[in-house]
Amino acid sequence: MARSARLTAQALAVAVVAGLLALLIWRVVHDDTATVSKALDQGQHPSAPAFDLERIDGKGRIDLAAVRGKKPLVLDFWASWCAPCIHESKRLEAALKRYGNRIAFIGVDTKDFSADARSWQRQHGITYPSVHDGGGKVLAKWGGLPIPRIFFVARSGKVVGELIVEEDLPRYLRQIAAS
Amino acid sequence: MKLLVLVCLAALVAAPVARASDQHPTQAELEGEVMCPVCGTTLDQSDSPAAQQIKRVIARRIAAGDTKSEIEGRLVANYGDAILAAPPHHGFGLLAWWLPIVGILAAAAVVGAGAWRWSHVREPAAPAAPLDPALERRVDDELRRYEA
Repeated sequence: MARSARLTAQALAVAVVAGLLALLIWRVVHDDTATVSKALDQGQHPSAPAFDLERIDGKGRIDLAAVRGKKPLVLDFWASWCAPCIHESKRLEAALKRYGNRIAFIGVDTKDFSADARSWQRQHGITYPSVHDGGGKVLAKWGGLPIPRIFFVARSGKVVGELIVEEDLPRYLRQIAAS
Repeated sequence: MKLLVLVCLAALVAAPVARASDQHPTQAELEGEVMCPVCGTTLDQSDSPAAQQIKRVIARRIAAGDTKSEIEGRLVANYGDAILAAPPHHGFGLLAWWLPIVGILAAAAVVGAGAWRWSHVREPAAPAAPLDPALERRVDDELRRYEA
């Protein structure tokens, strides 16, 4: 009896250790740290990861899969607490006046309070639509913090670049408008 | 039995305190239980713009008379479950609440069973080896002489 109890306890301990090991291997294999930003750094041009999120103005949702491949697009990750986002979003608003008929501009308000985000847009005169990514799950797929992060997607649905320096904006806008 | 009474008394004392905390939450209490979404710490340890924004929201909601659960619910609706420092009481988060309790109970059961076994089960005494007849005779003689 004592021997069988000891064997059962040992088998249980081995099973627990094996389970933890399996969990560790699964976590390493499914390491989901690949982001659009990293892929661009490595010279790749991945397809824009889809999302389907609610607009912060309450006018329905935006499903990126429905836009992707039909029109080039600019994706702007921003938040109302992000001071540098003001400057970048205003530059995109100016670009919207020139390219709005050829390029879709979509903002992704991330890790933010949507009521503050709506006031922020009104205050800074930003008119292109934004969706709400409160938990930052979509941002994580594209590259994570810090923001602002601005991506340029060609008509084919491939991401062609990310804005790093100021001069990137007119260059990428021309490139995707011609795609 | 005493332990059960103590647990019941503690629950009776704690319940009104918890209810009062839910009805009238304080800024400091919530800042210690809500995460800053960009820094990986609770709000009370962060001065980032994102943390300050949530602190302002909490202050506004407290002033408006919201309960703690209403404020937390509003934050979760906006940022998701990860905005709360404590794991959620549903789904996978339940594991974080129950696993330590199950672990403690399992450890107590193992220790209890071990203690019971140790106190109740004794190795049977080894049968005494038969005494050499000559030695037995000598012991009997010695005893007789002693008693005489």
